[in-house]
Amino acid sequence: MERIVTVVPEDGLHARPASKFVETANEYDADVQLGRADSDDLAPAASMLAVTGLGVSAGEDVRLVADGDDAEAVLDALEDILSTPEAEH
Amino acid sequence: MAERTLTGIGVTPLSGVGKVVWYRPDADLPEPPAPEDVDADAELARFDEARSVAEDELQTERARTAERVGEEEAAVFDAHVQFLNDPQITDGVTDAIEGGLPAAHAVQETFTGFVEQFESMGGRMGERADDLRDVRDRLVRVLSDGERVDLSSLPKGSVVVAERLTPSDTAQLDPKRVAGFVTVTGGRTSHAAIFARSLALPAIVGVGEELESVEDGTEVVVDGDAGDLVVDPDDDTKADAAAEAEVHVRSGPVETADGVGIEVAANVGTLADLGPAVDRGGDGIGLFRSEFLFLDRESPPDEDEQFEAYVEALESFEHGRVVVRTLDIGGDKPVPYLDLPEEENPFLGERGIRRSLGPDASLFETQIRALLRAAGSTDGTRLSVMLPLVTTLDELHEARERFESVASDLAEEGLAHEMPEFGIMIETPAAAFMADRFAPHVDFFSIGTNDLAQYVMAAERGNERVSELGDYHQPAVLHAIDATVSATEGHDCWVGMCGEMAGDPDLTELLVGLGLDELSMSAVTVPHVKEAVTETDTAEAEALAAKVLAADTKDEVTNLLTTDQ
Repeated sequence: MERIVTVVPEDGLHARPASKFVETANEYDADVQLGRADSDDLAPAASMLAVTGLGVSAGEDVRLVADGDDAEAVLDALEDILSTPEAEH
Repeated sequence: MAERTLTGIGVTPLSGVGKVVWYRPDADLPEPPAPEDVDADAELARFDEARSVAEDELQTERARTAERVGEEEAAVFDAHVQFLNDPQITDGVTDAIEGGLPAAHAVQETFTGFVEQFESMGGRMGERADDLRDVRDRLVRVLSDGERVDLSSLPKGSVVVAERLTPSDTAQLDPKRVAGFVTVTGGRTSHAAIFARSLALPAIVGVGEELESVEDGTEVVVDGDAGDLVVDPDDDTKADAAAEAEVHVRSGPVETADGVGIEVAANVGTLADLGPAVDRGGDGIGLFRSEFLFLDRESPPDEDEQFEAYVEALESFEHGRVVVRTLDIGGDKPVPYLDLPEEENPFLGERGIRRSLGPDASLFETQIRALLRAAGSTDGTRLSVMLPLVTTLDELHEARERFESVASDLAEEGLAHEMPEFGIMIETPAAAFMADRFAPHVDFFSIGTNDLAQYVMAAERGNERVSELGDYHQPAVLHAIDATVSATEGHDCWVGMCGEMAGDPDLTELLVGLGLDELSMSAVTVPHVKEAVTETDTAEAEALAAKVLAADTKDEVTNLLTTDQ
């Protein structure tokens, strides 16, 4: 299951949004990967190092790929984080 | 040895004298033993144990930082925990141990690889490199059983010198034992600088590589005002610094040389500021920024939580007045549970009292209940309430009606309550122009100079391109202050000032001359302003004020203030 999402938080996938993203990815029973929408390279969403290492900025599109029982739920939760402005975390 | 001076960015207006303790968390580890001498299973177990110790430490320091500095600064520890448990990192360390390295060396090697990778990417990644380095050094410290300098038990009078100080480092520092700190890197808004200000520690950041030439045990003077680090100071320099460091903390009320009492109070932006406000000799709290109770959380504080916070502030002082400013929130401060609209210009938008009387009416009602109950508590007679960003009399009257209606609700419920002293902030030209109409209806004014200067001059001090304009030495700002004070003549209405201007001891004489009754500032400068009050003669101060008000330009104002001192 996959989804393309535009990153809204001003910090991009750094600092607190990244922290929240990784925390959430780890909460569900699913294997989640992410990468830039225009690239086939994927990194594990459960790894802070991998997520911040992508260096995704606000306004970029990312691809989320999830596999497992909670795939849909985890994608919903992660999409919510990525599409919520800075103020909300 | 002759003294010499290194210069960096001073971040607190304080001086300290002490002996250098170099803190080098990334000092070299000893040579590793041969791979065949390493017991991989034992080292893996040590690594797991170290991670769990490090995680416990991080949770403790997170809590301590949230309390001392604030939630925003504490959040960085969440990222640290995630790096600590990152699968890529733990896999990397495990591989390195299985390849024959002891745990400490394996951690050092694996993290350093990622640090370099992040650093080479630059920008935001550089900040993450700092986090990784921080986690690495913590793990290595735990694994090498405290062979490094322990920041939590330094000898008294230590000046900590380091390449940089991370949030983890500063959380361990005991402000009672540390005479100051100096770092090679960092700027005015770095974590270390924020930390130094909230704990009132002398500090200099961004000294540069030259700092490496200062050896362990060297005597130094840290002048956090000028940003000067004096190495091997001679006796005169030390005496000056000691006099400065010992700036006499006066815990009682002060008066001018000719006997006019001036209240010198502290501004409080978190409950952690209450300690320094008392320790630095504040007479009370001139600005309790109640919005901090509402920020960085998922839901607003309830009535009891607010009540307890106000009572805690009152109980911190035996006699002092505590002025609580009601919720001052606008589009520039994120509050997740409030529906704050995106505004083109949040500083001219729906903020302060405008929101309290509008969309945040129910939050405001809860706050009023807590305030009225606090005013009815044991120490409640010392509570004052002021409204932010008032521009019209209608706003004042409407707010007061809300207070009265809540008071009658509380009476019906049989809950103890009182009407506190009631005032408004003067921070807009509208309020300054109408001050004579406001004065009969309030007990006091508090002039918020940061916002007043910005609104009078249509220029923001934080914006370097116009900061000269937004400066409180501008004649227009001084005239707005003078008009406000003059408008209270004949009315039972005292006038205070909160904002950076009140905390500038070079302006104390002028402010006394303009007729201010109370000055409120960050706790750090309370002793300096109290000292300046005692040296002021009101007749001379009034003469100075008259000359300053006659000046046409900011430069003339500045000249008058410097030549008269």
